[in-house]
Amino acid sequence: MSLSTSLLTAVQSLVADTGALQITSNNIANANTPGYSRQLVVLQEATPTNDGNASLGNGVVLEGYQSVRDELVTSQIQQETQAQSGANAQLASMQQIQPTFTTSTNDIGTQMSALFTSISSLSTNPNNSAAGEAVLTAGQNLATAFNTTSSTLTTQQAGLNTQVTQDVSQINQLTQQIAALNPQLTQLNATGQSTGSVQDQQNQLVLSLSALTNVAVTQTANGVTLTTGNGTPLVVGSQSQALQTSTGSNGMEQVLDQNGTNITASITGGDLGGTIQTRDQTIPGLLNSLDTLANQFGAAFNAAQAQGFNQKGSAGTNFFTIPTTVTGSAAAISMAITDPTQIAASSDGTAGSNGNLANLSAVQTNALPAGETPGNAYASLVYQVGSLTSNATAESTATTASLLQLNNQLSSVSGVSIDEESSNLITYQTAYEAAARVVTTVQALFLVTMSMGTAAAD
Amino acid sequence: MRVANMVPDVQYAMQQSQQALSSALQQVSTGLRVNQPSDDPAAAANMVSSLAESANVDQYTSNVSSVTSQMQTADSAISSVVTSLNAAITMGTSGASGTTSAANKQAIATQVEGVLSSVISQANTSFQGVYLFGGSATSTPPFVAASSAYTSAQVSTSPPLTATLPLTAGSVTTVSDASTGKTFVFVVTAGETISDLSAAIAGAATAGTLSAGTTATINATGQLQIGTNSSADGIVVTSNDPVLGAMSADSGTGVANAYAYVGNSSVNSVKVGDSMTIATNVPGDQLFTSGTNVVGSLNSLITALHTGTDAQIGAATAAVSTALNDVGEQRVPLDNTISELNSQDSYLSQEKLTLTTQETSLVGVNLATAATNLSEAETANSAVLAVASKVLPETLLNYLAPG
Repeated sequence: MSLSTSLLTAVQSLVADTGALQITSNNIANANTPGYSRQLVVLQEATPTNDGNASLGNGVVLEGYQSVRDELVTSQIQQETQAQSGANAQLASMQQIQPTFTTSTNDIGTQMSALFTSISSLSTNPNNSAAGEAVLTAGQNLATAFNTTSSTLTTQQAGLNTQVTQDVSQINQLTQQIAALNPQLTQLNATGQSTGSVQDQQNQLVLSLSALTNVAVTQTANGVTLTTGNGTPLVVGSQSQALQTSTGSNGMEQVLDQNGTNITASITGGDLGGTIQTRDQTIPGLLNSLDTLANQFGAAFNAAQAQGFNQKGSAGTNFFTIPTTVTGSAAAISMAITDPTQIAASSDGTAGSNGNLANLSAVQTNALPAGETPGNAYASLVYQVGSLTSNATAESTATTASLLQLNNQLSSVSGVSIDEESSNLITYQTAYEAAARVVTTVQALFLVTMSMGTAAAD
Repeated sequence: MRVANMVPDVQYAMQQSQQALSSALQQVSTGLRVNQPSDDPAAAANMVSSLAESANVDQYTSNVSSVTSQMQTADSAISSVVTSLNAAITMGTSGASGTTSAANKQAIATQVEGVLSSVISQANTSFQGVYLFGGSATSTPPFVAASSAYTSAQVSTSPPLTATLPLTAGSVTTVSDASTGKTFVFVVTAGETISDLSAAIAGAATAGTLSAGTTATINATGQLQIGTNSSADGIVVTSNDPVLGAMSADSGTGVANAYAYVGNSSVNSVKVGDSMTIATNVPGDQLFTSGTNVVGSLNSLITALHTGTDAQIGAATAAVSTALNDVGEQRVPLDNTISELNSQDSYLSQEKLTLTTQETSLVGVNLATAATNLSEAETANSAVLAVASKVLPETLLNYLAPG
C-alpha cells in the first residue's frame, strides 16, 4: 500500500486509455474501409497484490484488441457475390444482344414482313419493274438483318472470350495475394499477436475472388484453403496454383487447372462463370435458332421460287444464296438474284403471270421443317432473348437485395458505428482525465508528505 | 439489431425509387409498357406476329385499291365495247334493209371495220402496264393483227433447216388462230425435231385448235414456214427456240380485220385478305373470241356487208346481238367483284382497327394509369430523398459540445 503504487496504477491507466483511444481512433478512421471489421478494446484487470489480508487491485492492462467477425455471414456473402457477379455478367451481354431483337425498322421480323408485303404488292402488277425492285430490296434488307443479328451475337461471343482470359489472369493474381497472406497469419498466430487486419485483407481478397469465380473456402487458424467448383485446389498454405487458358477446338478459350485438366464446365459462379455460361450456352443456343431459321427460310423461299418461272419464261432460280450447312447460315445468307426479271412470279412461263407469287407468299404461313412458320420461329427467338434478359435482371436484382441484407447483417456485427465510437471516445477521454487527476492528486500528496514537519506544513 | 451504418440502406432505397421513377417516366413518354423484349417476353413475341399481320392488312388494303382500279378500268372498257356493239347492230340492221344500195353497204362495212378496231383497242386496254384481257399474259397486248403465214428468221447465219434438226429442249412455240380463237402451244421435250413440230401442228389442225389446213413446212431456202390454208384465216406465231429464230409475218399476207388472241385462258389472282383471293382479270378469249365471239361476229358482219345477201347480213347482225348479250353476262361477275372489293375494303379497315387495339393492349400503356404511376413514383422518390436528408447527417457528434 503506497502512494507510488497508486501513481503506477494511474500511469498504467493512462497508457491503457491512450491505447483504447488509438483503437477507437483506428475504428473511426476505417469506418468506411471495405472489409474492415471493427476492433474491440480488450482491457483486463491487473493481478492484485496481497497486502496482509487485503488484496488490492493493481489497475488495468490493455491486452490489445479483438476484431469482431461473423464467419457464417462472411461465407454467405461470398456465395451471394458469386451468384450476383454471374447474373450481372449474363445481364450485361443480354442487354447488348436484346436491342437487335427489339421491334424496329431493321429487325428480322419487320424485314421478313416487309418482304412478304412487297411480294403481295408485286402480285397486283407483276410486270412493274419498280415493284420487282422493291421485292429485291426487301430480300436484301432481310438478308442484311440476318447478317447483322448474327454478327451482333458472334461479336458479343468474341468479347466474352477475351473476358475469360482477363478473368483468369485476375484470378491468378488474387490467389497469389491470398496465398501470400497465409504464412503471415501463421506467424502472427504463433506469436499470439492480433491477426485482425491481415484477416480483413484476406477476406476482402477472397470476396474479390468470389466476384470472379465460384470457390470453396475453408477457414483455418492459419489462413484459408481455396478450391474451385470441381475441387481443384487454388490456394493451399503459402502455395497458389495458377489456372491457364488454351484455345479449344471450337476456337474458344478453355480454362485449365495446373495439371492441364479442362475445368471450364465446372466454373459456374462469378463473372467467369456467367461469362462462360453466356459464351458457351446462351449465345450458341440463340445462334443455332437463328441459323436454322435463316437456312430453312432461305430454302423454303428458294423452293417456292423453283416452282415458277421468271419473266423470261425459264424456271425460277434460287432467290437467296444459303450455305449447305445450317451453322453460319444467318451470317452468310445473301441475295442470289439481282434483276427483278429473275423473280419467278409466273406459274405457267407466261411473262405477266403472277401465279407463283402465291407460292412465295405461302412461305409466310407454311410451317418450316423446324415446325413453326417463319414469323413464329422468329417470335420464339424474341421470347427467348426477352426471357433470358428478364431472368438475368431478376437474378441480379434478387442477389443485390439479398447481398444488401447480408451486408447489413455483417455490418451489424463488424461495422463501425460512428455514434458508438463517439461515445467510446468520451468514455476513454473521461477515463484518461480521471487517471490524470489521480496523478495530480498523488503528486500533491507527495508534496504534503515531503513538507511534513516544516513550516510550510502548517 | 445493432445498426452501424444506414448509408447502404438509404442508397439502395434511392436506387430503387429512382429506377421506378425512370421506368414510369419511360412509360409515359413512349406510351409503351413494353419497350424491349425483357419488359414482357410473351407480349414482345406476340407483337412479332401482330405487326406482320398488321403489315399484311395494310398491303391488302393497298391491293384492294389497286385491283379495284384495274377492275373499274376493265368494266369501263367492256362498257365501251357494249356501246360499240350496239352501234354495229344498228349499222347491220340498216345494212340488211332491202333498200340499202350496194355502195352504202360498202360504206357501212367500213364503219363496222371502225367498230371492230375500236373493240380491239378496248380489248387491249392496260392499267399501269398490266393488260387486262390477256389472261395471265399481262405484259403484252392480247390481240394482235394476224397474218396467214410466218417464216422463221433463221437464214444465212446457220445451215438451212431440215426436218430432222433437233429443237431446243424447253423452248416454246405458239400459234394463235384468229378464226378458231384458240392457241396451240408446243413445248419441246429433249430429242424432238422440226418434224415433230410439223406433226403436232397438223394434229392441232385436225383437232380444230387451228384452222383446217394449217401446216409447218420447210421452204426452198431452208426456213420453217407456218401458214394457213386460206388467205382469209389469220394466225400469230411466236417461238423462243434459238434453232428456229424469231418467227416473222410474211409480207403481204396480213389478213384484213383478223386479229388473233395471243393471251391465255388463265387468270392472275391477288390476295386481298388472309383467306380472300380475287381474280384480277377476265381472259380475253372468253370475252372476245371463243366464248362470246365478238371479234368473229363483227368479222362475219363485215364479210356479209361486203359480199353477202340481205339475209346473210341479217343473220350476221343477229350473231352480233348474241355476242352483245354474252358480253353483258360476262360483265356481271366483274361488277360483283368490284362490290366484293368495296366490302373487303371496309372489312380491312375494321381489321386494322382490331389489330391496333390488340397491339395497344399487348405493349401499350393506359395513359391515365401511367400518369398515376409516374406521380406515385415521384412521391415515393421525394419521400426517400427527404428521409435521406434527415437520417444521414444525424450523428451523436451534432449534439456534443465543441471542444
